[in-house]
Amino acid sequence: MDDFLVIDDVRKSFGSLRAVDGVSLSIRQGEAFSLLGPSGCGKTTLLRMLAGFEAPDSGRILIGGNDVTALLPEQRPVNTVFQNYALFPHLSVWENVAFGLRMSRRPREEIRSGVNRMLELTRLSEHSRKRPAQLSGGQRQRVAIARALVNRPQVLLLDEPLAALDLKLRQHMLVELNEIHKQVGTTFIYVTHDQGEAMSLSDRIAVMNAGRVVQVDAPEVLYETPKSSFVATFIGDANFFTGMPVELQHEGYVRVRVEGLGSPLVLGGDFVSSHEPVRIMVRPEKISLTLKRPESGDRVNAFRGVVEDSAYFGTHARYHIRAGEHVVIAQLQRSRFSGGGINPELGAEVWMSFHPDEGRVVRLEDAA
Amino acid sequence: MKRSRFPALLTLGVVAFLFAPLIVLVVNSFNASRFGGEWDGFTWGWYEKLWEAEEVWESLAVTLKIALSASLASMLLGTLAAYALHCFRSWLQGLHSMLVTLPLVMPDILMGMSLLALFVITGVETGLLTIWIAHVTFCMSFVTMVVLGRLQDFDFTLLDAARDLGATRMQAVRKVMLPLLLPGVLAGGLLAFTLSVDDYVITFFVSGPGTTTLPLRVASMMRTSRSLPMINALSTILITATFLIATLSFRLQRRA
Amino acid sequence: MNGARRRSKEWVITLPSLAWLGVFFVIPAALVVMTAFRPADLHGGVMSGWTWENIETLRDPAWLPIVWRTLWLSSVTTFACVVLALPMVFQMARSGPRMRQFLLLLVVIPFLSNFLIRIFAWKSLLHPEGMLTKLLVHLHLAPENALLLNNSGAVLLVMIYTQLPFAILPLYAASEKFDFQLLDAARDLGAGPWRSFTKVFAPGVRRGILSAVVMVFVCSLGQYVIPQFVGGASDEMLGNKIQQRVFADRNLPHASALAAVLMAVVLLPMLVVTAWQRFGRREDAA
Repeated sequence: MDDFLVIDDVRKSFGSLRAVDGVSLSIRQGEAFSLLGPSGCGKTTLLRMLAGFEAPDSGRILIGGNDVTALLPEQRPVNTVFQNYALFPHLSVWENVAFGLRMSRRPREEIRSGVNRMLELTRLSEHSRKRPAQLSGGQRQRVAIARALVNRPQVLLLDEPLAALDLKLRQHMLVELNEIHKQVGTTFIYVTHDQGEAMSLSDRIAVMNAGRVVQVDAPEVLYETPKSSFVATFIGDANFFTGMPVELQHEGYVRVRVEGLGSPLVLGGDFVSSHEPVRIMVRPEKISLTLKRPESGDRVNAFRGVVEDSAYFGTHARYHIRAGEHVVIAQLQRSRFSGGGINPELGAEVWMSFHPDEGRVVRLEDAA
Repeated sequence: MKRSRFPALLTLGVVAFLFAPLIVLVVNSFNASRFGGEWDGFTWGWYEKLWEAEEVWESLAVTLKIALSASLASMLLGTLAAYALHCFRSWLQGLHSMLVTLPLVMPDILMGMSLLALFVITGVETGLLTIWIAHVTFCMSFVTMVVLGRLQDFDFTLLDAARDLGATRMQAVRKVMLPLLLPGVLAGGLLAFTLSVDDYVITFFVSGPGTTTLPLRVASMMRTSRSLPMINALSTILITATFLIATLSFRLQRRA
Repeated sequence: MNGARRRSKEWVITLPSLAWLGVFFVIPAALVVMTAFRPADLHGGVMSGWTWENIETLRDPAWLPIVWRTLWLSSVTTFACVVLALPMVFQMARSGPRMRQFLLLLVVIPFLSNFLIRIFAWKSLLHPEGMLTKLLVHLHLAPENALLLNNSGAVLLVMIYTQLPFAILPLYAASEKFDFQLLDAARDLGAGPWRSFTKVFAPGVRRGILSAVVMVFVCSLGQYVIPQFVGGASDEMLGNKIQQRVFADRNLPHASALAAVLMAVVLLPMLVVTAWQRFGRREDAA
């Protein structure tokens, strides 16, 4: 069951551009999986190869043990929810949903019950006679999902499913997509450039960059332990400091000498050696600000800086704090007027501190 | 995904079908054989004969005179019509739009026939003037359609921007709108010109003595087998001219 | 700008073209219908007074084959043009921008080339001494004395040839607006190439098909030059009869009666289409 959809060393070039450069992935049956990356990273090309619109130059794609690499789109047990939905404008909602079943020449009765059930699931029954042009963005999206799912595909591909919706609708559809996935249990593969979308929709995420998969993990693992600075910046915000490892400690910690910030103690990695510079990563919300030096001994990393800039975002506030040549971003998760913590002014001198478990060494070479 | 080759092959076939007769025509204009069934050797002879055929060149002069004046007039009327259709929404423009569209789908013979009826009943002598009127009438709608297409792409906030930057209304029209619309108007004029040069049916109905346009001349030459090879030569010249005008018109429309 | 000034400006701009079309398009058409009820004099003129005579003569059953032939030739031409043009515009719209412009230019050149020259080109190709005849005889595809000219096949061929660009251009305009991702969607949902084309592309450009059909059909109905030059005596269409009544018989009222019939035949499908489009648009917008 672990290897339901297998992508085996797939490559695809357009001219001199290596769009997909040797991608291998195994996706479980029923999993909600995301391909996440910036535009041009190859995620859309990979999706089009899964759907059958592009043929890979080399490599194989297997679904449930069957090699589908050579199959045409109409022959694959895969359906797609297109980015702009690609609903047929000359057909009603009902006929759009029935299209796939009609193409496979199912009996009339089966088409009727299948379409009606799917329209009920997506709460579109009352709109069944309308044309796509008469629907709202969210309704069109649901038609696109119903049109794909009614064929009972083994894999459902969703290309930037929420990109065309406005913010409020997006949050609503996020919940709805999770709901539908739970109900039908089909393998969902999302393609998105939005990390928030990927995190809330998927069981696992493959982060892609320049045609390769950089890291595959569950959302919280990606966030907490990114293996490279690319993943760290792409998923959430991060502060990076480059320095030399000075002391490898037991329990996986390492002390790194950073110009202007002293020698913070952070979580290490097996790739760290004492001769090569490394990069350490700290999330802005993990940094606390105090007016005096925190008194927790040398297990806490603390350094001084001057507040250069601040911005208030309602649920949180962000500060740019200069320490030597570094500008550190710190994020305070509280309202401006609530008690506790500090509310430093511009130009104020503050102490920044973070626990060694909140900083970690990431690979230097993968910087984006 | 492998795409079907069928549409590409058919396109190739259609293009061949469209061009084969024209190419044969061009080739035969240099063919010493009278009927062009086989190649009898290269010759400039038909062009020389054509050069000496005074009446052909007289017809060309008549045709050009009409085409130039008719396309100018239809450019003016057509541009005004397009402007009115684009800027106003009223019952008047509903009627206007219907009247402009109808000549586009009216068979030539009906247009010629009805203009002839008008001239016969009002007692107007058919000649240059009646041909000119007929040509303006059917060219105008085509110009309107081309300019209307251009107007629909025109961003009218540009006029507001010009006013905002201190231009008077006239200056805004002259310095911003005209330069942007001019290619469309010229393309419409070129289309009118080619349609006017090309027209046979309508001209045939409203022409009089001494106003034999080029297509009328070609038609009468087609009836005498002696002058058939000369038509090949004449056609080659006309096709070349059409090619140049069409290319020019494409350039104009792409510039925007 | 206040309402009254705007209205007078509208009139000033609209009047030139409106007046021109009124005088040289609407009134002449009305005159034709009127003339159909006038008696003719023997010198090609029109007399005053009213008569049913011109209309009466149309009830002669000898007209039926001509009307039938006109409709039949026009329908076949229309069908052939649309069938040839559809895959072609499909290909054009899927090509890159440079290729697309080039193909469009290739369609426009024959379209703008002189109508008579195009007929002449076919006349000399189909001529007994012409290239095509000789080629076919040489390949033993046609008998030695084959006559490709002066028959209804030649008329049909040249009609299709001259009308094809009229089908391609409106279809091309429609296919440019077609969203080709819909074809991906159709394939994704299990439709093969042929069914994607017939179930998604063809309905997607249906407005273009409609204007192509009207364009080609209406232009074909009024055709007379092609039968005159490449057809035989038994290939005459309604247009030929009109032309003969005007120039050979010099009987304008009789010609007008025929023209009025043709006008009705032309306007009928157009009214149907306009009504259908109005209705269709409302349905899409609702």
